[in-house]
Amino acid sequence: MVCAVHQRSVRMNKLFLVAVLLGAPLAGCNAADDSETTEEALNVNSRYRIESVHLVGQHGQLSHPLRTEINRLQGEKLDDSILKRLADRIKRELNAANVSVSVQKGTLPERVVVNFEVKSHQQPLDLKLAKFVYHSKQGWTGDGSASTMIGGNAVSFGLVSDADALVERFSGVRAKFERRNLWHDRLGLRFEFGSFHQQWDEATLAAASPSDIYRSRQFFMPEATLVLARPLELSFGVSFARYRPSLPAAKSGSANAVVTTLRYHQRWGSEQDEREQEALAEYSLRAATHLLDSDPIYTRHEVRARVGARRGKHKVEVGFLAGRIDGNAPLFDRFSLGNASTLRGWNKFELDPIGGSRVMHASIDYHFDHFTVFYDTGAVWDQPQHREQKQSVGAGFNFKKGFQLAVAFPLRAGAIEPIFYAGMNF
Amino acid sequence: MTRSRIKAWWVVAAFLSGLALAMWAEELILNWRDNRLEFSAPRVHFLTGKPLERLHKAAQVPFDFQITLWAGTRTQEFRKIPQRFVISYDLWDETYQVVKTLGGLKKISHLTAPQAEAWCLAQMPVDVSGLAANETFWARVDIRTQDGKLAPVFGRESITESGISLNSLIDLFSRPAQKEQPHWVLDSGPLTLDELKRSRRAF
Repeated sequence: MVCAVHQRSVRMNKLFLVAVLLGAPLAGCNAADDSETTEEALNVNSRYRIESVHLVGQHGQLSHPLRTEINRLQGEKLDDSILKRLADRIKRELNAANVSVSVQKGTLPERVVVNFEVKSHQQPLDLKLAKFVYHSKQGWTGDGSASTMIGGNAVSFGLVSDADALVERFSGVRAKFERRNLWHDRLGLRFEFGSFHQQWDEATLAAASPSDIYRSRQFFMPEATLVLARPLELSFGVSFARYRPSLPAAKSGSANAVVTTLRYHQRWGSEQDEREQEALAEYSLRAATHLLDSDPIYTRHEVRARVGARRGKHKVEVGFLAGRIDGNAPLFDRFSLGNASTLRGWNKFELDPIGGSRVMHASIDYHFDHFTVFYDTGAVWDQPQHREQKQSVGAGFNFKKGFQLAVAFPLRAGAIEPIFYAGMNF
Repeated sequence: MTRSRIKAWWVVAAFLSGLALAMWAEELILNWRDNRLEFSAPRVHFLTGKPLERLHKAAQVPFDFQITLWAGTRTQEFRKIPQRFVISYDLWDETYQVVKTLGGLKKISHLTAPQAEAWCLAQMPVDVSGLAANETFWARVDIRTQDGKLAPVFGRESITESGISLNSLIDLFSRPAQKEQPHWVLDSGPLTLDELKRSRRAF
């Protein structure tokens, strides 16, 4: 009898222990109470309330819902299971190597401060292919770099040969030094240098004034980025560009400008979620002025926006670009459409071989799994009477390893010649 | 007369210093009381290194203990007792709390680090009924925890995932400790209960 009672008691003890420690209520209705009991039983700090929450070493943007959830911790009791779940989500969203939780005494009695310490992937040398595309009319474009971290500073060195972005093909080297986490992670500094040689299309040489054609250019750009209120950032700095004209007797020119960019970039959800949205909007201003001893005097305004939404395998992206230049900008600062990302299907040298001082463009892409269809429309012009809206459509396929194939057609009367694209990240 | 007294003192001093040295050298101390073996290891500190760092960041750290007795030969297992203790460090009180999780939840708080370490071993007496008084036996205490990489942020999940059952803890100890896993192995023996009873003191 005694033995039976003892066994029942042992059994009851085990049941109680399993129920309490698993935090899984057997009765169902007292779930929160049981869970609280477990927390308080195991961690003596569970009785303290959270005074504030900080993200340390964060490089990147958290989605709005995750940030809201993190902010909600303030005032709550310390619950390590919640902190762990949030640390996992931060790690996934920022693609960080590790996110650890550190809790310290707060400034008020019986309050604690929670720090999520984000550790990035530290590879001795990170090789990155920013763009690699073959355009059936313009040839190859490649932009690759190698970067490393030295004492918390990102240093990168890259090689580029780009016939896609501008009306020139520029080939050369780029170097960048970046410090991202200054002043409580709200300030970043960047110094960028580039040296390029130019190649020109026959159409550009025929349309441009010979004095506008240069054979090499270098630039140096120190820039600071200030986080105004996440995810709103303001970048400001100066850009010093020097170019050597092709004409033998012409002297070198300088285009020195104040540069400012106001950027909003927000994400909701992540790749792991069923739904994901992203919004990017930025306005940039480049003002070349006599104060910086610039030869051409101009101001360049550019507005870009992109909104994307994904649900499962369906994804829609809408893009917008508008720009205006007042004054006489060098060719590398003029707007160009008809490349691998704008007016796909058109040849940019047919649209405007020297680029334009006004631009307007919109696009819509629909992706289903690996398949993509898109529609582009836009115009690039100098004089209002020359403004002519163009349109194009196309389709593509994205392979798993990031390789992309696409074909695009200009929508116009007469002969239609498709343009093929192949490569990565275009 | 005086010389013989001096000699006797020398013998006593040599014996006591030898005894003290032996005591100092022993990491695992066994005591026999009421047919139970009690363990202590005042020189062994497991609240150190990375586990301590995690404790000071308010994490709760599980420490898995296993006591094994072999009798007759070193391969013949006589008793095997696992236990899991969850330790946390009170940020404001600057003391430790220990929770024994198997065989009934038992909690103690406001401890210093050595007190917390001692309390864990004191909760694991081993019943030696069935072990002959003159039978040779060996004892081992195996202590394991998880470093930050192996453990979840606060360590609670490891308790729930392993189900905190006796079997899961025995499974845990049947695998060798991972290379980076903080672990301590304390051995004692060969001994007999007679020796322990005679001395009624630590080995």
